[in-house]
Order: sequence, then structure tokens, then C-alpha cells
Amino acid sequence: MTPRVLVVIPAHDEQASLPGTLAEVHASAPSVDVLVVDDGSRDGTAAVARASGVRVVSHPVNLGVGGALQTGFRWACQHDYDVVVQLDADGQHDPGYLEALLAPVVAGRCDVSIGSRFVSSTGYRAPWNRRLGMLLFSGVVRLALGRPIYDTTSGFRAYARRVIEVCQWDFPKDFPDAPLLIALARRGFRLEEVPVVMRERTAGQSFYTLGKQLYYPYKNLLASLMALIRKPV
Amino acid sequence: MFFLSRTQVITALGAVLLALYVLELVRRRRLSEEYSLLWVIATGVIAILGFSTPLLTWITRTLGFLGESSTTFAFGLAFSLAMLLYHSIKQSRLTSDNQALARELALLRDEVETLRQAGDGASR
Repeated sequence: MTPRVLVVIPAHDEQASLPGTLAEVHASAPSVDVLVVDDGSRDGTAAVARASGVRVVSHPVNLGVGGALQTGFRWACQHDYDVVVQLDADGQHDPGYLEALLAPVVAGRCDVSIGSRFVSSTGYRAPWNRRLGMLLFSGVVRLALGRPIYDTTSGFRAYARRVIEVCQWDFPKDFPDAPLLIALARRGFRLEEVPVVMRERTAGQSFYTLGKQLYYPYKNLLASLMALIRKPV
Repeated sequence: MFFLSRTQVITALGAVLLALYVLELVRRRRLSEEYSLLWVIATGVIAILGFSTPLLTWITRTLGFLGESSTTFAFGLAFSLAMLLYHSIKQSRLTSDNQALARELALLRDEVETLRQAGDGASR
């Protein structure tokens, strides 16, 4: 039996890039269903998504990218999906890698697969402050789990059913990165990185504004520590 | 021995007025009993300290503060910090409740929409 796969796309004011992303997903994986979680957008995000023929759930207010993903997990559980793929609306994630990302989860080799820019040389160059952050948090994860996850900030991941069932109730509100991975690993879920090449975003604003860039390291260091000392439920 | 400094009078009167205002807010249902409790206790403590010089002097000596008014303000500050922390806790809780409600609303709206479309399809 083929597993039912849902691609969840959190979208906040992404009407410009969303149609292209949706068309690409449909072209490279026509059999998967797509859910756009419109996170309180003020532009036509929901309308362009519906026009592309995908399902849309609209938040009445903005909940943040983690909040949007959690809604996607709840919806996936309610509609009996086996695997959820998290994909950005802005075109950074090439749906051509969907199959590679899904393969280890579908085969049962791992519970969460992470599309990673750093497992093998994929030619990705981030600005220095992002690089520093990525280095720091892959170090934090290595300290916490005793093994590295190189691309902790990747938002291109696939989650197996048993992970979705946990995440639908408990998921970070803002940045679902290093602390989430630590918490999931401590719950006994197996994480695996899959090499992917990511692109520049096509349109719209990056989620990481200046204020968030300053808050991010504080919040994620503290949350990582908490994920480590908190008893996994 | 029993004399009220100007600071004490101001502090004590302020505390009494605040306590009355808090009770009035509860009467008009603009403040819940739960939140009023801490305020009533705090204003009560400050009013007592303001009026009763022997008690205030004893606490000041025991805790080693430099003056009676410092003691009064130290209690007030401690209360303010406690109240701020309490509100941060409440606010964190409200934020996550609010998130959950927004999420359930979005999911229910989707379900209603789906059911409505199914109903339209069936009635045609």
C-alpha cells in the first residue's frame, strides 16, 4: 500500500511565490496532496492557493511558522495521512527532492528526514551571521545528542505518522529548529539527513527580521537546554 | 516614638486609596477577584507599615534597612516584581491558549466548508 503523503506549506503573505511553488510540487509529485496553511495573510495567499486547486486552512491571526506547521500536523492527523512533508512557500525548497526526502521515512529507516545543505557539498553559501548561527546550533545538537545534525535550520523535512501525532499537540511556536530536533530525538524518534540543494527565495520577505535575528539565539539556546533537561513526554 | 513622618503618611494614604480603588474595580466587574487578591493584600501590608511606626521600625532594624521609608518601598518593589512575574506567567498561558483557539477555529472553518460543499453536491 502506498503511504498517503501530505505536503504542508506554511504561508504568510506569499501570494507572489506560492503559485510557482505549487505548480512545481504538482509537476514533480502529482500523487501527493498539498495543504497550504495561510498564517493570517493580508494578501491573496489563500485565494491563489485555492485557485491552484489545493486545500487551504486559514488562521484568523498570525501564529508564526511553527504555529502554522502544527495546524498542518493536526489537519494531517484528522485526515489520516501517513507522512507530512514540510516545505517553504518561497521556492527555496526544490520539490524535485521530495522523493529523496520521503524515501527513508516511507521505507521506515527513520522517523524524520531533514533536507540538509551540508551533508555533502551542495554549494550552499550563507551570510556570515547565518553561518555562525548554523554552526552554533549544530554544535548544540551534537552536544545534546552525541551526534551531529548539520542543518538544524532546514525547513524541508518529512515526518512519519508517529511523529505527526506528537507534533500536533506539542510544537515550537516560532522557530522549529534545534530544540525541536533535540526533543524529537529524546523521544526516541530517529532523525536522518538527506542531502539537498536549496535555492534563493523567489519573492516575499524572509521570516528572519532583525529583531528575530537577535532573539533567535537566545530563545533557541534556552529552548535547547529545556528540551534536554525536560522529561520527554 | 509614635510619630508619622510625611513619607509614611503619603505612603499609607496612597495605599488606602489604592485599596479602595481596587475594591471599586471589583464591584464594577472590571477586575476579577483573583487578580484583586494580591493587590488588596499588598496595599493592606503597605498601609499597616505606613501607620504603625513600631512595627515598621522593628522590621527596619531586623532586616538592616537604612530607614523606615526604605522598608516601605522595598516591600512595594518586591510586590511589583512579584506581580510582573505573575502577569508574565499568565500572559504566556494566554498566548498558548489563544494559539490553540485560533488553530481550532481555522480547522473547524475548513471542516464546515468541506461539509457545506458536500451538502451542495448532494442537494444538486
